Amino acid sequence: MRFHIPSALRRWAGDNEIVEISLPLDVRMTVGEAIVMLGRDCPGVRQRVLDEQNNIRRHVNVFVDGENVRFANGGATQVTNDSEVRIYPAISGG
Amino acid sequence: MESAERITPQSGDLIVIVGTVKGAFIFHSDRARDRFRIAGPYFKGQEVFSAAYLPDRKAPRILIGNKSQHWGSLVSWSDDFGASWNEPADGNVKFPAGSGLSLNAIWALEAAPLVGRDVVFAGTDPAALYRSDDRGETFRPVDSILNHPERPYWMPGFGGLCLHTILPDPRDPKRMMVGISSAGTYRSDDGGESWTRRNKGVVMNDDGPPNAPHFRPQCAHKMRYDAKNPERIYLQNHPGVYRSDDGGDSWIDIAKGLPSVFGFPLVAHPRRADTAYLIPLESETFRVPIEGATKVWRTRDAGESWEALGKGLPQHDAYFSVLRDAFTSDSLDPAGLYFGTRGGHLFASADEGESWRSIADWLPAVLCVKAAVVA
Repeated sequence: MRFHIPSALRRWAGDNEIVEISLPLDVRMTVGEAIVMLGRDCPGVRQRVLDEQNNIRRHVNVFVDGENVRFANGGATQVTNDSEVRIYPAISGG
Repeated sequence: MESAERITPQSGDLIVIVGTVKGAFIFHSDRARDRFRIAGPYFKGQEVFSAAYLPDRKAPRILIGNKSQHWGSLVSWSDDFGASWNEPADGNVKFPAGSGLSLNAIWALEAAPLVGRDVVFAGTDPAALYRSDDRGETFRPVDSILNHPERPYWMPGFGGLCLHTILPDPRDPKRMMVGISSAGTYRSDDGGESWTRRNKGVVMNDDGPPNAPHFRPQCAHKMRYDAKNPERIYLQNHPGVYRSDDGGDSWIDIAKGLPSVFGFPLVAHPRRADTAYLIPLESETFRVPIEGATKVWRTRDAGESWEALGKGLPQHDAYFSVLRDAFTSDSLDPAGLYFGTRGGHLFASADEGESWRSIADWLPAVLCVKAAVVA
């Protein structure tokens, strides 16, 4: 699985734009669980994408294979080892 | 005023830390306070709700409670007056997994040297109290507040459900008061093992929530100890201004003589007994200086009488509010006073409020102001 890290968070990912993790082959996993797993190597990314209850933060958009999970099953959206996960800060503020 | 990439204050200099909706700034002056330099912004684009200065002579530290709208809140710190900042990768103020609560913002940072040399407390939204024993690097929740039996009755106000005021007792390390909006003023006498609401004498107009109509929520805006007598506490409530002479057990209405009972901040004089300052606003529905004229009100007799101080402040067409943590004093003699507005002004007085001047006009909306003399 490939995570595309936004520029604002790359300092927490070894300055990498893409971070790959491998899922256990026979395990079904949600994107929320995958981000927790990403946090083993990149705790600063997990901290900033998920809150303490492992919910995706309100102003963060996560796309799995091109679909915004906010309009799917949120953090419970299923992922596979071939998934592309993209993290974007939402357009927000004033 | 000069701008600087960083400041290098000497012992005895003054710093004023200003948190805004779009970052933090540090103002620096010598003791004369007639010329300030500004450094920052730090944490560009982030809301800075709280700040504290830890005045260790060998290792002074500035703490900031910063919130990214995208990436959440944490406590960051600088050991070189803002030249560099430490942000823990994994955060440091967190609600326990399974609590159902997630950190929104850090409203208060308060050192408690009598409790422990390196102890700092943080107050949060949702309302909780956190303790650090390493000068603000890591925190753990105070379970007695997190699991307080009255928590189900607490209700968020416009600014959230926040624990915004932390008052460690200056004599007794086991005693502390906190202010929670909208819940009330709570005191612990046993080192934080238990907390009891202390609102006897405070007028509360609204009934409690449907699950507890007996629990009438109190929206305490700010509390401060009297400089000489810690049994004496001043309270700017949402509606009303009060004084306690028994450590919070009971409260006396001291609003007589004020033009309005509504306001947010309250500052006690750093040394002088019976002396406190308020910034009354027109009403709870129009939170601006009364008739557009900015006045700081001072009592020198513990609230028996009040006098308006406005020399140098805008006296017409001033329509801004001053938030609860945006007013503070320094510890110099004569005492300096500082307040920031939601219009982005920072006003200062170097003569205990007798006269004022603006030292910054175009900041983002100001959330907090803290002043400290460098050790």
